[in-house]
Amino acid sequence: MNRTGSGCSRLLRKAWLGMMVTGQLAVATVVFSAALPVTPAKAAAPEACAALQAKYPALKGKTLVNAVNPHTPGYEALDPNDPSKYIGFDIDLGEAIGDCLGFSLTYKPVTFAALLTTLEAGQADIVISDIYATKDRAKAADFVTYLKVFDGVLVAKGNPKKITGINTSMCGAVAAENTGYVEVPLIQALEADCKAAGKPAPEIQLYDNNANCIQAILSGRADTYINDANTVDGAVKAYPDKLEKATAVTLPYSVGIAVPRGKTDFRDAVMAALSEIQKSGMQAELMKKWNLPEDQIEAPKLVLAD
Amino acid sequence: MDLFLKYVSQPYLVTGIVYTLLITVLGLAGGTVMGTVLAGMQLSRFRALALLARAYAIIFRGTPLILQMIFCYNALPMIGIKLTAIEAAGLALALNEAPFIAEIIRANIIGVDRGQVAAGQALGMTPAAIMLRVVAPQAIRSMVPALGNEAVSALKNSSLASVVSVQELTLRSTQLASATFDFFSIFFASGLMYLVLTGAIAVIQIVIEVLLDLDGPSPQARLARLLPWKRLPVELPAGPSAAAPEAVTTTTEATSPAPLQPASARAARAPDRRRRAATLANNGLALEINDLGKSYNGRPVLKALNLDVRLGEVVALLGPSGSGKSTLLRCINRLEFWESGTIRVTGRAIDRDETGRALSPRGIAHARAAVGVGMVFQNFNLFGHLTARENVAGPLRWVQGLSRLDADQRAMELLTRVGLAHRADALPRHMSGGQQQRVAIARALAPNPAILLLDEPTSALDPELVSEVLEVIRRLAVEDGLTMLISTHQISFARDVADWAIFLADGAIVEEGPAEEILTRPQNPRTAQFLQIVAEEEAAG
Repeated sequence: MNRTGSGCSRLLRKAWLGMMVTGQLAVATVVFSAALPVTPAKAAAPEACAALQAKYPALKGKTLVNAVNPHTPGYEALDPNDPSKYIGFDIDLGEAIGDCLGFSLTYKPVTFAALLTTLEAGQADIVISDIYATKDRAKAADFVTYLKVFDGVLVAKGNPKKITGINTSMCGAVAAENTGYVEVPLIQALEADCKAAGKPAPEIQLYDNNANCIQAILSGRADTYINDANTVDGAVKAYPDKLEKATAVTLPYSVGIAVPRGKTDFRDAVMAALSEIQKSGMQAELMKKWNLPEDQIEAPKLVLAD
Repeated sequence: MDLFLKYVSQPYLVTGIVYTLLITVLGLAGGTVMGTVLAGMQLSRFRALALLARAYAIIFRGTPLILQMIFCYNALPMIGIKLTAIEAAGLALALNEAPFIAEIIRANIIGVDRGQVAAGQALGMTPAAIMLRVVAPQAIRSMVPALGNEAVSALKNSSLASVVSVQELTLRSTQLASATFDFFSIFFASGLMYLVLTGAIAVIQIVIEVLLDLDGPSPQARLARLLPWKRLPVELPAGPSAAAPEAVTTTTEATSPAPLQPASARAARAPDRRRRAATLANNGLALEINDLGKSYNGRPVLKALNLDVRLGEVVALLGPSGSGKSTLLRCINRLEFWESGTIRVTGRAIDRDETGRALSPRGIAHARAAVGVGMVFQNFNLFGHLTARENVAGPLRWVQGLSRLDADQRAMELLTRVGLAHRADALPRHMSGGQQQRVAIARALAPNPAILLLDEPTSALDPELVSEVLEVIRRLAVEDGLTMLISTHQISFARDVADWAIFLADGAIVEEGPAEEILTRPQNPRTAQFLQIVAEEEAAG
């Protein structure tokens, strides 16, 4: 258990649960498109947020752009019942941070590799899109982390290549990955071990969203797709007869919110709001709502370039 | 199937079409504007502009559209230009389409017969008027299929706007597929939507092609061709021009005698040569050429040529191919440039103003119209998209500024004179060569030129059509007393009609004198040899 900041009172928690019901109903009824700003119910914000709004008045009433790669059901994807909406844990978390600081969000769908370039070009203000905060990526953006990373190894049913993780079991196998994913260099690094074992190096096919990677396994073009465990679980759930999760892998990273470098006020505000949301138990609730394991939660920390 | 139907009718996907169309329209509209400018630069007289346009084409035709999209979206903000996703995608598509559209425009402009441009120039039309009235109408007709292709390609290329987050059809399809895992139903649905859109472009293209089709008998009948159920009740207007084109070409009056009006008493009478020569000698000069010199790539084609033509005089220009006959005629109305010497028509120069400064192409056009030099070409050079009547009346409105009524009246007068009033509504391509050349003569005569230049007017005609054209020219000489300079291989015609004959060889006048004299008793051996060869050919033919 890594839950931290559980300083909320039972009373507050009960009140929150009640509010969740109303909040979800409100979210379900509000029809919003990517082009229109969203004004979620103010009731969802923890009390401490009032102080934060006083401390960071510049954000109040603003409409910010959140760049997402909406191909990750559970984190960010279209609502199949109302495709004009994006739904998922990341979307809810972003809305909660916005509620807390008094800004609203619109969404800009881009490829995974374009998330940080869009932020750098000023075409987006924030990125909350299941992106792992690595030192390399911190050269392009500052990160505030909110989850630990658990990866799953997605394979065809029966795991015909007997893949057991990012190790020599992958020699000669074909891995589908998205351009820019942290798993790519990890798999590439296996080449030396594979050579030493007298086996061919793993091959990587690069796509630009989860759906294409999953299709690559379904169509037999790739043997495995290693990505966020929840995404892998979602794929297995969608194709229980064709896919399975071979194993879980722990990676030494955290999932982070990316904000433009140098905008320290905004970064501090996001981090403070995230802390409050965690403390109030709201993040845990949201994770439960989206079936994310609770032990993935992690106290916010900064990942910055050296 | 249920899923497919669900997605085909899903508002989220259907509204994606709006963005797809928006990007396509932005790209095509911007691309057409920029493409027109680029084509203009490439065709311009100024080399620097052409080079600039070429450099643009190399860059934007040579790099992938996806990079251009990302550049407009993510790189332009770094120099302070922050466009919305739709603007950036529209701009990138326009930048990318421009060189392709420019090449379509350029190819179709170049594809318009150069002879028609020369004919427009000879009629005193300015470069702008030639572009607007002659080149553009024909180029636009022929570029419709290529532009249709380009529109379809732009529509499909708009899907790349998904990389810069424009919510168009492809982006919406992929996102929906990721959320629902219903890949195939969704992609089939969006594929069908693209097919409907490209199908619509194909239909628009067909409609435009039919509406612009010159062979369509009338606007009503053209519309009827698009509505098959309405086709039957439409009656074809009477007259030869309304028949199907195939029928027209076979039923032209080429085989029947040309319905020329009977010759006047004056024309029928044999000319009294001596009296005529005496009268002409007292007339003023219509044309003075002094020391004219010209060369192509350093090879001289005209060498210090001198020639005077008096008002009312008919001069026959003879000589073998390549002797410089055409070049001389083309110099007289400044269709060609020359290096040395002067040419004056009724005392005025066409190439320079009063102060001796060289005129611009536009200034030359005005000078041609003011001086009045008519020209008839070997290959007729009628404006292909205009009827016989419009070929004559059009230039009168555009150059001489006549009203439509006056111009049409004058055109009909002239067409009657050349015996073609009944073909007034026919297109050049539906007329025989002889008929076309008679229309061309009527067109050249329309503005009452001071001098008429005829460049081998019967050389491109089938033998049986030669006489109808020669008869028209003969009457002009005899009935109108028109000043004419005519290059021809028709020796007997020249002997019959011309007052003066000139034998040209290697760009110089070898022999000249009264036509009857030279053509019956040439003094120079080269003239004699030439006349003998032509006579043998005529006998063999």
